[in-house]
Amino acid sequence: MTPPATAAVPADPLAPMPLIAGHPSDAQLNTELLAPIFGPTPQAWKMMVGMAAMGTGLLFLGLTVTIARGIGMWGNNQPVGWAYDIINFVWWIGIGHAGTLISAILLLFQQKWRTSINRFAEAMTIFAVMQAAMFPLVHTGRPWFAIYWLFPYPSTMGVWPNFKSPLIWDVFAVSTYFTISLLFWYLGLIPDLATLRDTAKKKSQRIAYGIFALGWKGSSRHWQHYRIGYLILAGISTPLVLSVHSIVSFDFAVSLLPGWHTTIFPPYFVAGAVFGGFAMVLTLVIPARKAFRFENVITNRHLENMAKVMLVTSMIVGYGYLMENFIAWYCGNPYEAYLFFKTRPFGHYAAIYWIMLACNVLVPQTFWWKKARTNVAWLWVASILVGLGMWAERFVIIVISLSRDFLPSSWGNYAPTWVDWCIFVGTLSFFSLLFLLFLRFVPSVAVAEVKELNHEMQHEKAHAGEHA
Amino acid sequence: MSAIFKPSANFFARFSLVLVATVLGGGLLGLWGYFRTPYAQGLQEEIAQPILFDHRHHVVDDLIDCRYCHFNAERGASAGIPSTEMCLNCHAQIWNKSPKLEPVRRSYFTGAPIEWNRVHQLPDFTYFNHSIHVSKGIGCVSCHGRIDQMPAVTKVASLQMSWCLECHRNPAPNLRPRDQITSMTWQPPDDPAAAKTLAADLMKTYDVHSRVSCTTCHR
Amino acid sequence: MPSMKSLPVIQDEPRAPGHRSLWQSVEELEARAAVSRGEFAAGAAEVPPELSRRSFMQILGASAALGGLAACQPPREKIVPFVHEPPEDRPGKRFHYATALSFDGYATGLLVGAADGRPVKVEGNPAHPASLGASSTWEQGALLDLYDPERARGIWRKGQPLSWRGFLAEIQQLAKVHDADGGARLAFLLAPDASPTQADLLRRIQARFPKARFHAWAPITEENAAEGARIAFGRPLDARPSLDAARAILSLDADFLSGHGESLRLTREFARHREPGAGMNRLYVAEPAMSLTGANADHRFRMRGTEVASFARAVAVKLGVVPIAPALSPELALAAKAVAADLSANRGRSLVLAGARQPPAVHALAHAMNAALGNVGVTVTYSRPVLGEAAPSAASLPALAKEIQAGKVDTLVITAWNPAHAAPAGLDFGALLAKVPNAVYHSIREDETSRRCSWRVAASHPFESWGDGRSRGGVASLVQPLIAPLYESVSTIDLLASFLGQGDRGAMQHVKAYWMARSAIDPAFFEPQWERWLRQGVVPGTAEASETALVDVAAVASSLGRLSLPKGDGVELAFAPSYGLFDGRFGTNAWLQELPDPITKVSWDNAAYLSEATAKRLGVADGQVATLALGNRSVQAPLKVMPGHADDAVTLALGYGRSDGSAVSKGVGVDAYPLRDAGAWFAPGLSVKAGKGKHKFAIAQGHFGMEGRPLALDFTSEKWGHAEGGGELEHLRGMPATLQVPVDYSKQEYSWGMSVDLSRCTGCNGCVIACQEENNIATVGKEQVAKGRIMHWIRTDRYFSGPAADPETITQPVMCQQCETAPCEYVCPVNATVHSEEGLNEMVYNRCVGTRYCSNNCPYKVRRFNFLNWRPEVPNVQTLLFNPDVTVRSRGVMEKCTYCVQRIEGARIDARAGGKKIGFVQTACQQACPAEAIVFGNLNDPQSRVRKLHDDARRYDLLHELGTRPRTAYLVKIRNPNPELA
Repeated sequence: MTPPATAAVPADPLAPMPLIAGHPSDAQLNTELLAPIFGPTPQAWKMMVGMAAMGTGLLFLGLTVTIARGIGMWGNNQPVGWAYDIINFVWWIGIGHAGTLISAILLLFQQKWRTSINRFAEAMTIFAVMQAAMFPLVHTGRPWFAIYWLFPYPSTMGVWPNFKSPLIWDVFAVSTYFTISLLFWYLGLIPDLATLRDTAKKKSQRIAYGIFALGWKGSSRHWQHYRIGYLILAGISTPLVLSVHSIVSFDFAVSLLPGWHTTIFPPYFVAGAVFGGFAMVLTLVIPARKAFRFENVITNRHLENMAKVMLVTSMIVGYGYLMENFIAWYCGNPYEAYLFFKTRPFGHYAAIYWIMLACNVLVPQTFWWKKARTNVAWLWVASILVGLGMWAERFVIIVISLSRDFLPSSWGNYAPTWVDWCIFVGTLSFFSLLFLLFLRFVPSVAVAEVKELNHEMQHEKAHAGEHA
Repeated sequence: MSAIFKPSANFFARFSLVLVATVLGGGLLGLWGYFRTPYAQGLQEEIAQPILFDHRHHVVDDLIDCRYCHFNAERGASAGIPSTEMCLNCHAQIWNKSPKLEPVRRSYFTGAPIEWNRVHQLPDFTYFNHSIHVSKGIGCVSCHGRIDQMPAVTKVASLQMSWCLECHRNPAPNLRPRDQITSMTWQPPDDPAAAKTLAADLMKTYDVHSRVSCTTCHR
Repeated sequence: MPSMKSLPVIQDEPRAPGHRSLWQSVEELEARAAVSRGEFAAGAAEVPPELSRRSFMQILGASAALGGLAACQPPREKIVPFVHEPPEDRPGKRFHYATALSFDGYATGLLVGAADGRPVKVEGNPAHPASLGASSTWEQGALLDLYDPERARGIWRKGQPLSWRGFLAEIQQLAKVHDADGGARLAFLLAPDASPTQADLLRRIQARFPKARFHAWAPITEENAAEGARIAFGRPLDARPSLDAARAILSLDADFLSGHGESLRLTREFARHREPGAGMNRLYVAEPAMSLTGANADHRFRMRGTEVASFARAVAVKLGVVPIAPALSPELALAAKAVAADLSANRGRSLVLAGARQPPAVHALAHAMNAALGNVGVTVTYSRPVLGEAAPSAASLPALAKEIQAGKVDTLVITAWNPAHAAPAGLDFGALLAKVPNAVYHSIREDETSRRCSWRVAASHPFESWGDGRSRGGVASLVQPLIAPLYESVSTIDLLASFLGQGDRGAMQHVKAYWMARSAIDPAFFEPQWERWLRQGVVPGTAEASETALVDVAAVASSLGRLSLPKGDGVELAFAPSYGLFDGRFGTNAWLQELPDPITKVSWDNAAYLSEATAKRLGVADGQVATLALGNRSVQAPLKVMPGHADDAVTLALGYGRSDGSAVSKGVGVDAYPLRDAGAWFAPGLSVKAGKGKHKFAIAQGHFGMEGRPLALDFTSEKWGHAEGGGELEHLRGMPATLQVPVDYSKQEYSWGMSVDLSRCTGCNGCVIACQEENNIATVGKEQVAKGRIMHWIRTDRYFSGPAADPETITQPVMCQQCETAPCEYVCPVNATVHSEEGLNEMVYNRCVGTRYCSNNCPYKVRRFNFLNWRPEVPNVQTLLFNPDVTVRSRGVMEKCTYCVQRIEGARIDARAGGKKIGFVQTACQQACPAEAIVFGNLNDPQSRVRKLHDDARRYDLLHELGTRPRTAYLVKIRNPNPELA
């Protein structure tokens, strides 16, 4: 059941703050939640889409340059073979996690507060995974062969991929994750698409939404199947939340590089992913709910709960850092020790290491205080800081470890080039672009579910006396 | 308000699902199949040559051994393509007026080499060596087919990696006595048991190993 | 000259007639740019990674190209057989021809491997005394020069092309004119060369033109040595050291492990006695900057170049050779005492060597000391000078300049390397050349000098021409061409012969005729002899006999007295030949430009080296650009702090900072010649002023310390005794604890392994270039090296230990260790790197997609990634350079050392096709190594040397605790310090 949160209403200090403010009717909810779609196109939205589109241009410039001229256009070198490419990959995959967590796991645990934010979260997941999925491909020297040999058709060589390699596991993990998340998201969308179909004024809209609604009529039979399907998908995707990022962490854990060769990586990566994911949800939800006036369905209580989740995961991540350092000391391996106690805190990239600690460990500590949890402005800033911190974490793990490995003779530093920046900024823009389109053309709050929740709450209220 | 979709829409919906499935599945299957067709492998492909050279005639009628012209097959990586001079060893005497041989004579007197079109083309990163195959008892016909029946030489083996590996993984069935290397007609004994024993002691006598290390062919 | 018909390859870059470094039109400039890019393609100066206009089109097409790449079939190839088959033709077979390469006068015997008629690999000739089968970076590098697309071509007079015949006619005319006054207005400026045939031609030219002047000149000479011998013995003699018997060696600024001439032989002899035991030698080195020899010293005494004399004298006093001890710092005095004691303790088994940079008196003193120590005849012998007349003299250029000034020279024939660039300071020889009506410059490349000469005659590469040469010690070798000249060009012999009206006779005839006459063999029987000499690469019975020579101690002492001692204060500038470019003649060689300096690991640059203390005192910092001024001359040079450099001294390497030359050499580094007086090596009174700006070096190894990790291990000889007994290395070798069942390779017929003896390795880098040549390794240019993308498959790691001011040095060649449990293999998603049943870690380029995961997981970081296409456009001529047995990698592909698997497989096929076992296989690095530090072979053969070395007490595995089980074993370095100095 939802954790008790003391309401702002002085009347009854123990009553939980409602998940839906006021007593809206279904019609009200419809109009309210579908307003962004049927309403006039806001100027701000147009401008933001324009900017995002331009940024996306940078992404494609960066990628074309890379494919035309080679990885040398990036800053990668010997010994730092991986840098922004894999940093971005891990970062985006991580962000993707919150979505599945919110929509699947919270569903299974019957956390009602997930209802009005799960659509955001799922969309974010899909768009984030799309960014991530790009990197394993384009980070290779010869992407065209990479596709050909990882899915070895037409298979005229009698040679198969190396299933011992974590990179192969990645390919399967990520593609599975993407497929399931997409289905889950779409299934959830169907009733709302139907609503759109039925409430749309323009014929074109009605046809468009109608096709995607797959002839949903909202009959009890439909609802029954819908529920079963939704639960099954939730069941399938729940283990994925754990598996995907565990497997991503294997990319590092199975190697023998100091700073990579760490058994704690799987749980610590998953926690970090959820941490970063929730941060991203907040970063997106806060402005969105303001822009589209969703305050009474995405109430401060939602934000507060997310803050709490972040606090918890941040502490797990912090524990991860602690353990890494402890083991580095405890195992007595000189290479580990050098990396953890010399290179990271005082080395060439020390600043990034300290940023990581500050953003991921210190910032969330403020969430012990309700003031911080309910201060929307601070939540937003904090969520952005956490996003930054998680990016720094991947930088620390990947670049710093590579730059100082076993033989001092081969040590070397890394510096990003303009192409690296293009691609990084590009993915951010591409992500925003997709998200903006989503806000405009797809119900960004699960209308049907909110209505359902609304009914439940009304019902509870109505019969409050009887159960007493 | 009126329904936008007629009941027939359901059919289209289902049909499109089936369509997607078939396109994806069929695509992969098609790709898999296509690269196994003679067309994709460039088999039975007539390749125009500057001179209408007929192996049938030279091998069957004149009984010239492969190694007379392809002198290097036993000693080197490349089997060697005969020089103009070598053609004229005979054709200075016979058919020395034939218009068909005009390009040969021209090459000889101008010193401009004859440019043949390659039929058996391996990628540059694949290092094939004739001498070792010949010395281990792999016959010409095993890879080049019945040259003695070819008016113009065509490719009969796919030369795809999996094709090479078939034999490299299990050479025994493809071995023959060294004196039969250039024979176009030699067959292992019909009796499978006899064939097996022959293969077995050829493996032993020629000290043949299955070599499947990458660097056997890629360096 | 029909043999000089140019191959089609020269058509690949059009050049306007009379075209020089100046371009006359935009088109032409672009044409040149294209050429330069071609040069880059060869992997030279820069692979332009940034977006250029032309590359943008490339990018637009890229996505389309991708689709294409996957689908389309390769274009159908042609087969082009011979018209007339050469009798020895064996398509694809490698033939080796014996020849020789003369370098500053002295020849080194080589075996050059030719594939399908083109030289592709240079090896040393085991039968040649100066090579013993080894080869240095310079001999290896010569091959790249052969295929340099920017080589000079054709014969030009005042910008007009001349045919060979036309040229001969013109020379006839000139000769006639000079006949009138007996050649009074004819002069020759010759590169030093011990070639007997050339000497003979010169004699005959002299006979025809009695008044003609012949100057032998080179920027770097050994006059001091010759003069020293004259002082000591009263006549010029060559001293020939032999380190086989030497147990205590004192090098007075003599870098005998590098440089030219006999460094290969000396390195071998030195290295052979670096194994622990009674026979182990001990090396003392007194020098300013850390040299290769200094890095290998057991005791290195750093001092300014001019102080070496005093040190030598102090040692001599202790040996009782000369009286009057000079003033020395207490520790140096102590050192001198100990050295002297050790030398005399090893009477007859010691050796004192003086370096070419030291004044004659020091050489004389060295002779005196060797005589006093009874070393003569054992560790050093004396013989008649091999160069004789052809010995270069620094003074000859100023002398010639005077004559030109006085207008006494109408015709000047120059075969010396680039006098206009390397002329001593204050002498603008280039300008003078313009004054000579007929200045004939014979060079393999157009450079600062050719621009100013009215006649330019392209020189043939030694691999293209007939000739002969002599090694130090006089052993003669014949030089035979391996390929017809790629460009219209003339060999030195043809050029000189043209002054005798015999230019069209052909160099071979001259050489043959000379040797026929000299050998006095009946012409009927000469041919087989000739054939044999060609095959063996040496002419028997040509070595100089050693002579007995008595030292005139008095003369030595008086010469010492005349020696001016340095003033105490002030900074001293020392010049040094560069390890990559020597005096600059290799400036256009991308391999040698990119080769990191063995001590500082700086690539594509030279720098003003100085000690940390001096830098502090002068208030300058590492990397700062400073103004180095001697009197009114000055140059801008970046500073680099060099561990172990003498205080109050700055060392600047010669050979960099070319104003002309090819795209490779131009503007790389700092030109030191403007500061250098004729033949000067040390210049006092240098002022160093910190300028603005920091210089960005491309340093191949940034970190010099070992951070206390057990990487390159060394022991002192007495500590080793205990270590060996105490089994101190046990934890660094053998099977580490592991859960997985190790693969058993003992059943295999072959199981390849390597061993590297750190005691023997001198860090000369010969292996690096040999590997580069054998395996088609690209050069990437300064910018990319700075980014950390150098491609060398084998690198020599160099670590310093002890005080930064005066550290101990250790060098460690690192190539792929061919781990039995290789970390790179299991992480590759496409099986592009896998293990062979014979224990090789195979790299399959055509399978690689370039995830770089293998490199990340390689603890030795020996994998190299093609970040860009290092060869955007390879000029046709450079495609001839590629080793046909090794795939040329394109961009996006990982590559690494394969233990020269192409050689293994080649040997296997040759052996097995004949039903035999694989015999002797050498890797390229092993074959080049003069120190025999690298040994490769079959570990399953109990008799093989590598097996024995793997079982050696000194064996250990690099990063053993990781459990990678490397197939390359290292043998710890043993130092042999003098207990008295410990």
